[in-house]
Amino acid sequence: MATTAAMQLNSDLMTGVLSASASTTMMKAGTTADGLDQMRMGYNKVPTGTSFDLLNATAAGVDKATKVYICNESTDETYYVTIVIDAKTIGRLYGGDWMFIPWNQDDVTHDLEITATGGTNNITWICFHEGETLTTQDASLGASD
Amino acid sequence: MAISAGITLTSAAGDLTSNTLALSSTSSLTKAGLATPLTNTSGLARKTTSYASSGVIDTTVLFRADDYTNNGANKVYLKNISATATEYFTVYLTGDRGGETHTYASSLIEIGRLYAGDWMFMPWNATAGTKEAFTATFANTWAAGDTFTFDGVTVIAGGSGLNENAAAVDATQFPNWTTSVASAVVTFTSRTSRADLEIDSTEAVVVTAGDGTAAIATTVEGTKSASDIYIKPSVHTDMTMEHVLFYE
Repeated sequence: MATTAAMQLNSDLMTGVLSASASTTMMKAGTTADGLDQMRMGYNKVPTGTSFDLLNATAAGVDKATKVYICNESTDETYYVTIVIDAKTIGRLYGGDWMFIPWNQDDVTHDLEITATGGTNNITWICFHEGETLTTQDASLGASD
Repeated sequence: MAISAGITLTSAAGDLTSNTLALSSTSSLTKAGLATPLTNTSGLARKTTSYASSGVIDTTVLFRADDYTNNGANKVYLKNISATATEYFTVYLTGDRGGETHTYASSLIEIGRLYAGDWMFMPWNATAGTKEAFTATFANTWAAGDTFTFDGVTVIAGGSGLNENAAAVDATQFPNWTTSVASAVVTFTSRTSRADLEIDSTEAVVVTAGDGTAAIATTVEGTKSASDIYIKPSVHTDMTMEHVLFYE
């Protein structure tokens, strides 16, 4: 299994061309043969003002090679979402911006949170990961509950 | 001028799922809340880390928040160019999780690990701390040849005028401080946000033939930067991080 993430940066900011490209095959931590084999993804409309947990840290994600992609699909450039990990602000994704980062869920407080500003922001996100412990069904509830 | 950043995520049918996954997005990097492009860049650069042994591996500050605009639309690109699968850089922001026994994991906030060939592209808030500031107030009797020494720099008085000598200190460049002057009072401001500074007359030394003084008084207590970007290699042998910062 292999999922690739490729990026291309181009700029005419300087007198010479500034260009960078990179492509990585998303592997499990420390391996070259075993790709990340699970993912979660979503598309959310995030109302302004309230902080939300976009991704909750789990013990299975400690010291792994998890990757997170987030894109702010908003078309208004004044809209943005603030990205926070463990109460630390990483930065702002304005309308049209995207990010792709490793995410080490090094303890249970290491949730990845977002807060929208300007209006309802539309967010696409994908988390590529390995190892996930699914929550056991609550036995007190019936199967159809 | 324009800067574009594109990403393509692909997974062939039968790899991650039975269907093809293909997603791409391109962003024009613009200033916060505007359609105008970012105008500054660090340029594409590399940083190689190397330590004498695994026991002395430490973090390196790649970008200091002090140097960039807070709450802008800054973007950072990092790539671990190692070809050895087990070698990784851990990427951190300044942090401090109170109440914990400090380790790397708690005195900094970890973003994640970049394994060999991995890259990341993220927004960066660049929240600086507060820069320490103090005043030196020139008073009493000064004479030509008296000295004021601070931060490794000695200023020699040209005459007896208090305002004149304060102005001479202000005109001097100090490695770690900027200055401003009002009459006989020079205000020093640290070039970087730090919480560990406390300047007194043992650091700012006056030598005068008479009773000239330059009383030191702290006016702003400094605090540490809130979001410097740190990297830490997993091995002590050479590892190289490629990086670009686009900023306001």
